[in-house]
Amino acid sequence: MLQAISILNILMPILYLTTFLAYATDFFNNKINLANSKRIFLLITLFTHFGYLIMRVVEFDHAPITNKFELFTLLASTISFAYFVLELLTDVRGTGLFIIFFSLLFQISSSLFIENIFEVKDILRNPLLGIHVVSALIGHSGITLSAVYGVLFLLLYKRIKSHNYGVIFNKLPNLEILEKMSFYSVVIGYLLFTVSILIGTLWLPSAFPNFNPYDPKIISTVVIWVVYTAGIGAKLIFKWYGKKVIVFSLIGFAVVIISMVSTIIIASSFHQFQ
Amino acid sequence: MNLIGISINHRTSPVGLREALHLSDNEIADLFPLLKDEVLKDGFVLSTCNRTEIFGFPASPEVSHNHLHNTLLKFKPVDEIAENHFQRFISYDSIEHIFRVASGLDSMMLGDGQILGQAKKAYHLSEDMGFAGSLLKKICDVAIKVGKRAISETAIGDGAVTISYAAVQLVEKIFSNLDTKKTLVIGAGETGELAVAHLKNKGAKDVCVVNRTLKRAEGLAAKHGLEVLEFGSFRERLHEFDIIISATSSDTPIVFYDDMAKAIKKRSGNPICITDIAIPRDFDNKVSKIPNVFYNDIDSLNIIVEQNIEKRRNEIPKVEKIIAEELENFHHWYNVLKVVPTIKQLRNYFEELRRDELKKIKNRIIEEDYDKVDDMTRRIMGRLLHYPTMKLRELAENDVETQESVNYSLILKDLYKLDDRQQDEF
Repeated sequence: MLQAISILNILMPILYLTTFLAYATDFFNNKINLANSKRIFLLITLFTHFGYLIMRVVEFDHAPITNKFELFTLLASTISFAYFVLELLTDVRGTGLFIIFFSLLFQISSSLFIENIFEVKDILRNPLLGIHVVSALIGHSGITLSAVYGVLFLLLYKRIKSHNYGVIFNKLPNLEILEKMSFYSVVIGYLLFTVSILIGTLWLPSAFPNFNPYDPKIISTVVIWVVYTAGIGAKLIFKWYGKKVIVFSLIGFAVVIISMVSTIIIASSFHQFQ
Repeated sequence: MNLIGISINHRTSPVGLREALHLSDNEIADLFPLLKDEVLKDGFVLSTCNRTEIFGFPASPEVSHNHLHNTLLKFKPVDEIAENHFQRFISYDSIEHIFRVASGLDSMMLGDGQILGQAKKAYHLSEDMGFAGSLLKKICDVAIKVGKRAISETAIGDGAVTISYAAVQLVEKIFSNLDTKKTLVIGAGETGELAVAHLKNKGAKDVCVVNRTLKRAEGLAAKHGLEVLEFGSFRERLHEFDIIISATSSDTPIVFYDDMAKAIKKRSGNPICITDIAIPRDFDNKVSKIPNVFYNDIDSLNIIVEQNIEKRRNEIPKVEKIIAEELENFHHWYNVLKVVPTIKQLRNYFEELRRDELKKIKNRIIEEDYDKVDDMTRRIMGRLLHYPTMKLRELAENDVETQESVNYSLILKDLYKLDDRQQDEF
């Protein structure tokens, strides 16, 4: 099975790249219509990815959540899966290119640096930790989707205002849909993020002897949660529309990225398990 | 193929002449008796605002395009019309032209979505009046197929190519459901009315109209079921509307920056899409600087129109490919049609021989054996005729000039004296 995992590890970025290129061709090239086949590419990629993840769980006897490169491949799959569900529900097919790009980036970095780890700490096999991490990952996927739709909203907004009716104008769905997709993604992301935080708050202190409430990751998570609470609250209470909400979503996403970079790569934290 | 036709259209004549020769459905129905029997065996007449065309099969070999002109001009005399205002078509050129018209390639507005419906109506009228034979019906059916394929397989009809449709396309890029949006139309003239019609067509339900002359606004409102606003106070109510279309004949702007700034503030930043198709413009163009106000004048809408026309032009080769395919299919069908009588005669002749021989032995053998012989002779006959039949069809399908298939038909007829036998039967 190890050999199959190694092959799939190389195959996954290729599959994401192929799907990304199918979506890009459909978006930019008017002469080739890949509206249906690009969805099939995505489906094949997702199935293969889930197979790959299951094989890793079986072979290494732990969920792929023990280090950042395992998390990256999980994140790549959840982002694409969330997009796939969204595309099926809304039948808006013109935005996949921008979403799958993120899956491609995460999968490339995962495939390059992921290691085969057989021995992990017992705590990493705890189901509560599994729920905590998976809900956080889906939360991150929702937030990423929301940010992408936010950027697309701003792009289209600018194009319409400046009477630039090129490929962005022709291929993207309308502003109202982009705003809704951004908002729905962020709400789903926010709810799961909240679940993850709640589990973390209740369970982590008892599970980790070196738990530190002032850990940089916990502080940044609280900041992210506050930003999104303010944005969603403002939208619901003051009936904000469009740009204002989108800007909140993008600020939240920027904080997420800064937090990821600073806490995973730079700062030391009890949240690191290796 | 002796199909002939004449066409007066936007490429051959000015609008005045086209208008003068335009025929209503009732007029077409009255023209048919004049065409029928003496000029055409069967045919159809297509008349739209940009073309009037007559196509059909001549009633006699002497009938030419001139007879079609003369009959048309006798029915609807127009002094200024000369022969060079008409295009003339004959044989497969006629069919190709009919296909081009149905696909929208020949339309003044390339890819015009209405022409297929108008062509269908013309064919059906001819059918209803008993003026469409089976060959003409086949041509019309294929023409409709060409039109449908052009729409479904290419983008020849995609995108707005008029200002009013471009305005709707733009609105649809901002909002998803027009039926939940509130619209204000400023100006109750012809352009305003056209805008109302397009919006209603796209599902807009809540539409208000305002006009300097209240009576005119009330007239438009009564016609389309709209609400009327008073001109003196409509600026205070701008915030209620998601979509504003303005098309007045005012010489000066009637809505200013401050009016829109106040409106957008009252809407908590919810967007407003303004389409100003008036010349000179009705809105102070500074309103475009207000966030969430999407302001478009006639120049910006023209950009969309030009882009869409260019896109449609790029689709022409695809549509021409469809026409070529269908012409080829029709050609095969028509050629086979010509050898079908010979095949039928040959098969009848063999069947006749078979029955004669069966009759001779009927009383000499038992019924069970008779059935066996009947079955066996039928199979032998089928096998004997299989290759000649296939060869004839094949030649007819592949032979461009049809001469070879005609020669084979003549040889068969001569060898078996098929024509003599047919005459004997009569």
